[in-house]
Parts: sequence; C-alpha cells; structure tokens
Amino acid sequence: MGRSQGYSPSEMMVVAASRLLRDGELVLVGLGLPQLACLLAKATHAPRLRMVLEIGVLEPEPVDPAIGIADPRLWYRATCHTSFTETLGILLQGGRIDVGFLGGAQVDRFGNINSTHVCEDGRPVRRFRGSGGACDIAALAGRVIIITPHERRRFPERVDYRTSPGFLEGGRSREAAGLRGGPVHVITDLAVLGFDADTREMRLISVHPGVDPEAVREATGFPLAWAGEPQTTPPPSPEELEILRTRIDPHGWYLR
Amino acid sequence: MNPDKVRSLQEVVASVPEGAHVALGGFAISGCPIAFVHEMIRQRRGRLTLSQAVGGMDTDLLVGAGLVETLIFGGGSLDRAGLLNRVNEAILLGRVRVLEQSSLAITLRYHAGALGIPYIPTRTLLGSEMLEPLVEAGEAEVAEDPFEGQRIVRLRALRPDVAVLHVQMADRQGNCRILGPTWDNLEKARAARRTVVLTEELVDEQEFRRSPEGTVLSGLYVDAVVPLRFSAYPTACYRKYDYDFEHLRRYATLAQTEEGFAQYLEEYVLGTSDHEGYLSRVGEERLRDLVADPERGY
Repeated sequence: MGRSQGYSPSEMMVVAASRLLRDGELVLVGLGLPQLACLLAKATHAPRLRMVLEIGVLEPEPVDPAIGIADPRLWYRATCHTSFTETLGILLQGGRIDVGFLGGAQVDRFGNINSTHVCEDGRPVRRFRGSGGACDIAALAGRVIIITPHERRRFPERVDYRTSPGFLEGGRSREAAGLRGGPVHVITDLAVLGFDADTREMRLISVHPGVDPEAVREATGFPLAWAGEPQTTPPPSPEELEILRTRIDPHGWYLR
Repeated sequence: MNPDKVRSLQEVVASVPEGAHVALGGFAISGCPIAFVHEMIRQRRGRLTLSQAVGGMDTDLLVGAGLVETLIFGGGSLDRAGLLNRVNEAILLGRVRVLEQSSLAITLRYHAGALGIPYIPTRTLLGSEMLEPLVEAGEAEVAEDPFEGQRIVRLRALRPDVAVLHVQMADRQGNCRILGPTWDNLEKARAARRTVVLTEELVDEQEFRRSPEGTVLSGLYVDAVVPLRFSAYPTACYRKYDYDFEHLRRYATLAQTEEGFAQYLEEYVLGTSDHEGYLSRVGEERLRDLVADPERGY
C-alpha cells in the first residue's frame, strides 16, 4: 500500500478515523492525526462536530503547525480558553465528551494503553510521557478511538503498564471496575480493528487496500481473528484527499 | 491601601523552606516559571516535593539539579522538542519517589484543597495501574458512592506549601490577568498555603479596577508578586512571546546525560548570577525575535 496507490498510510488512517465520527459530536483530541480526522469529518459529513483540547481550549481553528498541545499555535481562534476542571472535569467526567482519541507506546489485546514505561525482565527501562489526561479520557469518554502505528512491539498480549484502562482483563471486567464506555476502534497504518462484544478481545474489522491480513497478524503480538467477514477498508475518496491536501494540511506538516 | 506584595525573586526563593511541597505552574513548553526554578537551583533549595498535572521544563530542571525527593504528577514532556529526560532517568534509577496520577486527579485534588474539604470523589483512575500505589500511599481509596452505589475513587486533598505561577499581568496586590488556557493553575494557586506569581508586566491596580471581570486570579490568594520580563523563557508566554524551539531542543539533547545537563546548568543557571544575567546569555536579539504577534498570540 502507500504512494503507489496515490495516498499515504497516514492519509488512510486520517480518512478511516474521520469516517467513525458523527455529526454534532464533541471530541477530545490531541495534536496530529486525530485533529486532522476531526477537521476532515467537519469538512465532509460532520459539519457540526466540535473539538476540545484537554489543556483548556475549545473549538480552535489553528493555521500554523504546532509541536504539542501546549503550543499556542494550537489555541488559535478558539471560542473559549478554559481549564482542566472544565475540559477533563465538567465536559469529560460530566459525560459530555462523545469521543476521545488516544495513542500510546503499547496497546494490548483488550485495548489497555501504556504511555508510561516499557520493561525488560520485569523492570522499567524506558519512560515516556505518562498519563496527562490520557487515563481520564480512557476512563470517562463515551467511546475511545485509538490511533497508533502497527508494530509487533506496540501490540503486546499485555501492556507493560496499564496507564489508561481499556477492557482490562476482558469480559465484563471494565464494568466491574466501575467504568462505562471503552475503546471501540483501533486505527493503524495497516488496518481498522474493533473489540468483540462479549470477550472484548481485539478483532480485525478491515485491512487497508493492498495489505495482506497475514502481515497484520505478524505485526500483532496476540491472536487476531476477524470480527466478521474479511473486509478491505474503503480507500480515501478523491474528494477526501483533495480536502486533506488543499485545505486541512496544505503544507504537508502532518501528512507529508 | 492594600499591602504591596512586590518582592525580589531572591527573597521569595529564600523564603521557601527545605522540604517544601512546591506546585509549579508550567505545562510542557508553556508557562513554566523558569526564573523561579533557576533561582531555586542557585540557592539550592532542596528535598522538595513537586506537584503538577503535566510536567514541563520547570520540573525537569529541578529534578535534574537533584533538588526533588517526591514527584506528584501526571507525566509530561517538552512536546516535540523532547522528553523529560532528567525526570525519566531519576524515576528509573529510583532517585525520586513518584506518585503518578492523571491530570484530572491532580486538578481535583487541588480543588478539594482549595475548598477546604478532606477528599473529593471521582471516577477517573479506576482500572489504571496508577491507582494502587496511590492507595498504598494513603492518597486515594476505592469506595462506594453512598447515594447511587457506584464505584468511585476518593482522592485526598492536596495543599501545596507554595504554588508558583507565571502570568502575563499582575498588579501590586497580586490580582492576575492570565491569558490563554489555565490548565490546573487556578486550582493549585487557591489550594496552596502561599502563592507566588512571576509576572511579565506589573499593571496599576486602578487599571484592574476599571475592568474587574478580566481578573482571573484574585490577589486574595497571592502572597508575592515578582515582576520579571521573559521569566518563562525558553517556554512560551501566550500573547507575550513564543517558545524558543532551538533552545528547547538543545536542552533536551544535553539533558539526555548527566554531564550534558551539568553543562547546560553551568552555562545558563549556575554561571549567571541572576535572571538578567541569564537573559543576556541568551541575547536581546534572540528575545526580540520571539515577541508574539499581537493578533495570533505567538
């Protein structure tokens, strides 16, 4: 897949994520691909979608590339600048956030996410950014969409550290812990994945055009069954690519 | 006439006791009270407990300088300029005790401290590995909501000894105009026993009285005001100046090793006698280049 098909893996990821967003939804986003997915959804099927940045920024319209959510470039032309109490407390814990986007160093079979540290021989050897608002989003958003590159080391059977709760040990364990919601989709550069309604194990929904399902399995550290009939992710439409390249990321800051 | 709270940076730092719990106001590459942190390093105020929802360059400098015993935080980074290398290494080597929690958890804990209540219920942290160490440390407990019977977490209130914020404008009584998002800053300022603000601009009180609706943090909570230009540099101060990406990158690269970090400290902190000395090391031309566009704010 990729350039030979006229679009990049990142473009496929953004398009696949954007199609999962519905009109009118309130979405908690981070920098990069999730932000582009929201902007694409707004420009196509979800014009009334609204974005929230956890730092305390509502409905921004950035015009310059940013290096993180603490970068004021991302706060430009917002409708409101506010606080964690409002974004993570009142909007998120208050049940008003429909969708939260998350990434991380590792995602496991039950959609638990690690953004804290990885271990060797049971000891932490490398640390990342930690939680920030990630655990809050995983615990409290209406539904979670995970976006991450598909590599075997990033998809272990069990995360080395559970920063952000997915379906914990599977089955009803998330509900037993007192949580609702949970991860619904995982978008990677190879496939779109979901979770079985009973076991809560990750399942393959579709592979992106030109991707061999075996390659997805090899890049995953646990057994991966199809959710239903084997499917191919519908490729980006010419219209979606046109909007992405001319309006949303015209200088290729995020998608190249 | 209200008391004048304007103080020098040196005297404010000298009043922070060894072993104090200090809540820092930065978030990654924005709003870090860098001038305060530098002076803490020059005066070697140590054995600190630091708390902050999202750590930034402020936290990395203090931890790297060996002044921190305990970190109460939700992680952090220098955004795409790099990771908090000094913090991460100190945690991996067991040189600091860490109580990790989420941004919401810390914000709520400050809020409980500000409200004068002993704890606050939440539904975050359930299912996260961060919860158990907090329970063991006596900072949280899993309980049942007495009304609906749902599982909740009770988080213990946080009351820092000193909160240190960086703001764009303050008057001599400590009333603050904070431009841009405030993350957990208002909650920590109201929870702390003492609050210090570093301000880019000292504004006349009468100006605030003409439009009190613009005051984001009342001077009632503020004990000391330190007017210092570029006191968040190299992190950003929204509507005043941009972050210095090259400086942040260079710092993140040097801070990968203890030797590199020591070299950075020598060059910018220990080798300069005060904040103006640090700024002259950076250079006026560089600072001028970072001044924010009034329309965009960066």
